[in-house]
Amino acid sequence: MTMEEGNVAAGKRKRNIGKKKGNKTKNKKLKMLEGKGKKLRVSKKMRNLFEKRARDYNSDDDEEEEERKEKENTEAAATRRGGGGDNSSEGREEEEGGEIQPGVMKFTEGVRAFRVAFKNIIKRNIANDSLGPVLSGHKQLIAKKLAEEEAERKVKGEAKKEKHLVAEKGHVKPANYLDSHEKFLIGIATKGVVKLFNAVNKAQKAQKGLDPSRSKDAKMIRKRSKEAFFSELGKTSFPVQNSSSKDNTSCDPSNDEGPAWAPLRDNYMLTNPKLKDWDKMADSAIVDDVGRMSEDSGSDDD
Amino acid sequence: MARFRNRKTKVFVKPIVKKNQQQQSNVDHITGNKIPKSFVFSRGKLPGPIRQLQMDLRKLMLPYTALNLKEKKRNNLKDFLNVAGPMGVTHFLILSKTESSPFLRVAKTPQGPTLTFKIHEYSLAVDIAQSQLRPRCPQDLLKNPPLIVLSGFAAGNEHLKLTTTMFKNIFPDIDINTVKLSSCQRIVLLNYNKDTQLIDFRHYSIRLQPVGVSRRIRKFVQNHQVPDLRNLQDVSDFVTKAGYVSESEADEEAATVTLISDLSRVNRASTKSAVKLQEIGPRMTLQLTKIEGGLCSGEVMFSEYGNGGNKKKPDSEKGTEKEDDDNDDEIGDSDEDNEREDNEEEDEED
Repeated sequence: MTMEEGNVAAGKRKRNIGKKKGNKTKNKKLKMLEGKGKKLRVSKKMRNLFEKRARDYNSDDDEEEEERKEKENTEAAATRRGGGGDNSSEGREEEEGGEIQPGVMKFTEGVRAFRVAFKNIIKRNIANDSLGPVLSGHKQLIAKKLAEEEAERKVKGEAKKEKHLVAEKGHVKPANYLDSHEKFLIGIATKGVVKLFNAVNKAQKAQKGLDPSRSKDAKMIRKRSKEAFFSELGKTSFPVQNSSSKDNTSCDPSNDEGPAWAPLRDNYMLTNPKLKDWDKMADSAIVDDVGRMSEDSGSDDD
Repeated sequence: MARFRNRKTKVFVKPIVKKNQQQQSNVDHITGNKIPKSFVFSRGKLPGPIRQLQMDLRKLMLPYTALNLKEKKRNNLKDFLNVAGPMGVTHFLILSKTESSPFLRVAKTPQGPTLTFKIHEYSLAVDIAQSQLRPRCPQDLLKNPPLIVLSGFAAGNEHLKLTTTMFKNIFPDIDINTVKLSSCQRIVLLNYNKDTQLIDFRHYSIRLQPVGVSRRIRKFVQNHQVPDLRNLQDVSDFVTKAGYVSESEADEEAATVTLISDLSRVNRASTKSAVKLQEIGPRMTLQLTKIEGGLCSGEVMFSEYGNGGNKKKPDSEKGTEKEDDDNDDEIGDSDEDNEREDNEEEDEED
């Protein structure tokens, strides 16, 4: 379409240039004739000029004769046509002439010519197929181009699809939310959370009544944390053996042998076996719930 | 420290932190340990879904990660290392993609070991939200770091031990004496399957629901919706009617916790509540393929496909020493009142 338009525009320009040249000579003649009864003569010559222009304006030669006949028929009737929508032809005339030439007939001739040409184009458009208003010579070319474009698009589409597949590799959209494996995993996680929350509750409950500002209580807090420290030592060995569990929950049966590294064991370099649980003895004077905690850690160590 | 951070914006690597975010402390004021921070980024150009996976991983690692980290093509690993030092970043999570599948590398800065995982399958957070009937995402879900649960790892060999250590260190520790239960809202689960040698990676949100209360009353209290009493003669019908018991309530028995303090209007102290998990966030199936002694370099200590790339570098010994130090630190950490989540499932089924 653009090609065709460009061509048409170029053609118009060419025609315009040609007409300018022609006009100049005619203008001279007209000026000479101005003094006399110029209207008739002017109109005749101008009529020829208009016919010529109209002929060139129409691309098909078939329409020429029709046009001429039409013009002759309607010339008389076409005294003053509403030249509202005819700025283009008017402008063209002005451009070509270089001077504004008065004459109603000229204008209406131009109007009529334009009208005829436009009608022909519109008529042709109705009969046209999907390619649109195309000059006959270019139809095949444009059809070929469109076919090429479609083929290109197809190829590109396929390449894109392949790329997309490679990009999405491994991306799995979960079909239904809860299948058995997921439920199993959620169960494990829930158990962990429950363990943790229970441990936190126990630890914090024991500390609930105590206020860190009071020195006595601060001592108690320190002692308890020391217990937790030692009990933690008792259970948590290297990651080689086992991973740790919480200090207050029951330990796993595989934990019983104690830490692998000798200095961590409770009976390291212990000469007097009675002193094995020295930290437990120190805490025996403390309140009951703490005693309960020490029992737990004691069982862990043994 | 705030001045320092603003001055340190490099030309090409710009970790952009939200302006109204407070300066994060490097050291946890409770335990006295260094808070682990992480960068999640990618090497090479990634196709669409993997970029979303990277974003999901960043959200998972919040709040101790750079959410809006911007990277340019010409950034090397060295650039990230240079920025990581002053900002106190301890771990890198690197995503990459080859023709076969995407890979995830977990590395500890500055010279730490690198674990390479092959991602067999993954699902994005949006996929999971679409597959659920009622997706949940409360607003301040990402304000607190998640808990971590590792299961099934004990049966493995040393490589798995290193994996557990690494993952334990990525997330900050919690102190059971002072932690507030309301701040534990997320949990990351890593489950190792002995038979297939695959690690399942899941991310859940924790919700507490009061138990022992009939469904209608609970819904009424939580949703503030006026119930429809048309068909009832008396209010007591509403309160005492035995509604149907959903299947999940049977599971709740094992999952009940006694709360120590008031968590919300409905979860009050010394009442039983059930722990309910709902999956959010990405879902991955990983396979450990390679462990390297250095940061994406160094001696290959373990390789799934045999000893393909055995590069003996002069600092390889330093690399292995560093690994031992890490292990020792692990012991040292657990001496305090820290608690990390671990679960042993190995003997359960026996």
